Amino acid sequence: MLMISPRMTTAQEKQFPPSLQNFFIYNPKLGPREGEEEKKILFYHPTEVEKNEKIRNVGLCEAIVQFTRTFCPTKPAKSLHTQKNRQFFHEPEESFWMVMVVSNPIIERVNKDGSTVVEYQEDELLDTVYGAVIQQCYSMYKLFNGTFARSMELGGVELLIQKLEKFFFRYLQTLHLQSRDLLDVFGGISFFPLDKMTYLKIQSFVNRMEENLSLVKYTAFLYNDQLIWSGLEQDDMRILYKYLTTSLFPRHMEPELIGRDSPGRGGMTGNLHHYGRFLTGPSNINDPEIPIRFPRIFVNTKDKYEELHLIVYKAMSAAVCFMIDASVEMTREFCQKLDSLVGPQLTLLASDICEQFNTNKRLSGPEKEPHFKFIYFNHMNLAEKTTIHMRKTASMCLTSVHPDLMKILGDINSDFSRADEDEEIIVKAMTDYWVVGKRSDQRELYVILNQKNANLIEVNEEVKKLCATQFNNIFFLD
Amino acid sequence: MEADVHNKKTPWEINGSLAPAELQRNNRSESPTPGLVEGTEPGARQDSAMFVHTRSYEDLTGGEEEKRRQESDETDSPGQSQMEEISKDFSELSTQLNRVVMDEEIRDGEVEGTVSCRDSALSDKEEDVTSESWRQHRKHVFVFSEAGKPIYSRYGTEEALSTTMGVMVALVSVIEAGKNVIKSIHAEGYKVVFIRRSPLVLVAVARTRQSEQEVAKELLYIYYQIISLLTLTQLNRIFEQKTNYDLRRLLSGSERITDNLLNLMDRDPSFLMCAVRCLPLSASLRDLISGALQQAKDKSLVFSILIAQNQLVTLVRKKDQFLHPVDLHLLFNLISASSSFREGEVWTPICLPKFNSNGFFHTHISYLDQASSLCLMLISTESEHFFTISNCKRKVLERLNKRNTFQTLLDGLQTPSYCVSQVGISDLRHFIYKSRSSGLFTSPEVEHPYVTQEEQERLLELYQHLYSRIHNSSRPLKYIYYVGQRENLLAWVTSGFELYMCFSPMGTKTGAVNAITKLMKWIRKEEERLFILNPLTY
Repeated sequence: MLMISPRMTTAQEKQFPPSLQNFFIYNPKLGPREGEEEKKILFYHPTEVEKNEKIRNVGLCEAIVQFTRTFCPTKPAKSLHTQKNRQFFHEPEESFWMVMVVSNPIIERVNKDGSTVVEYQEDELLDTVYGAVIQQCYSMYKLFNGTFARSMELGGVELLIQKLEKFFFRYLQTLHLQSRDLLDVFGGISFFPLDKMTYLKIQSFVNRMEENLSLVKYTAFLYNDQLIWSGLEQDDMRILYKYLTTSLFPRHMEPELIGRDSPGRGGMTGNLHHYGRFLTGPSNINDPEIPIRFPRIFVNTKDKYEELHLIVYKAMSAAVCFMIDASVEMTREFCQKLDSLVGPQLTLLASDICEQFNTNKRLSGPEKEPHFKFIYFNHMNLAEKTTIHMRKTASMCLTSVHPDLMKILGDINSDFSRADEDEEIIVKAMTDYWVVGKRSDQRELYVILNQKNANLIEVNEEVKKLCATQFNNIFFLD
Repeated sequence: MEADVHNKKTPWEINGSLAPAELQRNNRSESPTPGLVEGTEPGARQDSAMFVHTRSYEDLTGGEEEKRRQESDETDSPGQSQMEEISKDFSELSTQLNRVVMDEEIRDGEVEGTVSCRDSALSDKEEDVTSESWRQHRKHVFVFSEAGKPIYSRYGTEEALSTTMGVMVALVSVIEAGKNVIKSIHAEGYKVVFIRRSPLVLVAVARTRQSEQEVAKELLYIYYQIISLLTLTQLNRIFEQKTNYDLRRLLSGSERITDNLLNLMDRDPSFLMCAVRCLPLSASLRDLISGALQQAKDKSLVFSILIAQNQLVTLVRKKDQFLHPVDLHLLFNLISASSSFREGEVWTPICLPKFNSNGFFHTHISYLDQASSLCLMLISTESEHFFTISNCKRKVLERLNKRNTFQTLLDGLQTPSYCVSQVGISDLRHFIYKSRSSGLFTSPEVEHPYVTQEEQERLLELYQHLYSRIHNSSRPLKYIYYVGQRENLLAWVTSGFELYMCFSPMGTKTGAVNAITKLMKWIRKEEERLFILNPLTY
């Protein structure tokens, strides 16, 4: 059964990637009576959709969820596959449903007689990936707005609707559905590898700062977009990390790349002793005209429900997040104190880490282009490592392998998530690439080898070598 | 001549991805699946095939049928006229096309004797459809008309489930109203798969590891099963005349056949492989039997089929007429579901939906032995030829008895087909080998540790999962090796064959690679016994 590769395009063919068709949030309890259906709808994208169609689409989702309860009352539908699209359902808070409708990729062919044939590629989207995307949507919303229920308590439906519109209007434009992959399923954190000495230096830096800036409740320390230290709970850190690395940092990267430090934020003016600057908050802390305001974030929403100011401060490649209770008013004096205290020390620390990083690099020898690429993820500490993804930008995650191979990784991952067992899967794709997936004790490793002529035994040897060099302390099932 | 064929250099031992790289470099060319040319793999037929050559999978999931249906929706149903054209082509064969009887006469003759068995199964049907045990069934199947009239439910009565089926119909039509087609719903631990073959809708709720496509494939089998009893023409006519017709009136008594088909699909890999398993038999004995069937011919005969225990002994066909594996599976199922055929000779109309969904054949069914293990099916185009065909059966028996062929065959049936240990690979527990050009497959008896029915179904589920991964419609693979806690599995698909192997979890990768070579050699050595290499025509 030879399949023609779906990506082989000829002049008469046009391809359309998956795109966001609809995104809506509803609560069936808000409009239980007939004729009141519109009240259920809290958010609907695109807004210009006609009212009756909105009601119909929400009704369909309700019906599907209700229908599946016939077969399992506790685990209702998570997705609906149709010829043209896939719909993903997520109930993040009781009775609050989020639905994301993603169109299937399309190939449009022009026949000889001039007519066009549209072919929906129904098997291209991975449920696990887009299921993770919709969960991410909620987590990101919650990070900046708190829970739906809390908003309802504070300001009723109106406040919630207002918040949802303000957040999702912008956020949905940054979804980039066509470049989502296995990494979204993991939602992991990349950790910066360090020697003990430097790690201790960073820890003592964090302690000193927390001591001197007593208002600070939590601190997180990153280098090169990788995490080194965090005082937050894992789940909160995971979504904050996502925000920092895919949104905040990329937005501030460009000035550094062109060799000029951003003149705007943080008030570099008159301060030549360090490279520190604020990435959040006022663009110039010394300008009395600019109000002192930092973004608020919500953490520990399950129990303590804390609202915090998020201050992100960066010097060269080192970034520190200081989180301060939102009830405390942020003053210009505090910002100036922070800047003068953290700036010089962080600059020094950043160059220390950089030096150590370069020494390590030199010791490990010149980098050869390896004939394999891999993704590693540890469910216990959320640690992720990838050599497949080249660079994260604000717009997308670039991968160095063919999207089909990424989807095979996704397939293997969903096989693993079925049972909590140690397993290994080795497959050979139609393109003759070998793909290996290993799962052992909460850890997952995926390797893509481009030694097309290798056999199973040789592939096994390669992966063994990789495990020995990269993960020498981790046991994998042989 | 035959020796020639066998002495030809068979490249499968050193081709593909599993042999050391040095050996195969020459073989690796532009072709994505090098080595075996289709038709030279072990089990490939020497002269001509006896089945419709299907790319099984695509054929079954029937993209074309669907497209045709959609087209007909858009342009004032040219689909119907297309159907008529097709039926014209087959008009010689389809006998009663224009005098299809709408009443139960036909069915009566066939299902007599099965009704009583059905009664005993009733308790099973009348379970509480709100209970947890009902929900936990591995696979529910529902069939209903487009108007929402229940036709079949695997567990629970259709009456108790009419609301559920009503909701399903509503979902289908709401999504169609948006110019879209519902395919499936996915939740944690189960999926709901929909297929629509106008005028019927079929839905499965599966807790298995099968892919959406595999479940849809099984639903199509159920659809074909219904067609085989009614013909598509009759089915369409019924619902054209009365959209809310209660089809159960016509199908009453046939639920058992559908139940049996579903149970069979849970256990027998034939359906998954879309291929037919042959009864292992020495080539000379099989030739004698085929000869007997070939001699007992009649102008109206299209196929003569001899089966034993859901395995094919031999098949003789009219020149230029090919049987589709799906049709043969439906015949296998019909035989294994009904005890009525044991009583004597049965003459019954049967539609072979893949051959021609619009007309009936007339089939003479009889068991040749006391123990009812050998079943002969003579498929004729003439409804009035019962006595002629019955005479053919007598001739078959005569010839078989002549040289003691019959006794040798019966003796052979006493022993199980074959054990995996005969191959001589220590960690190998089970395998399935399919020759793609002939549509035949072979596999040994299922043995320890897959002794309980639950374990046997688990093994098939593992194969189903491998199959759906390697045949994934958008990301097909060439090769899979899986290491698990309870077993290691291997799947390998080339243009010539498909191989699925199950090893003990103690087996190594080196062992598995060596096992492939050894197994392929063994199959080549045994191919005359395991496959039908010389199919005959009348």
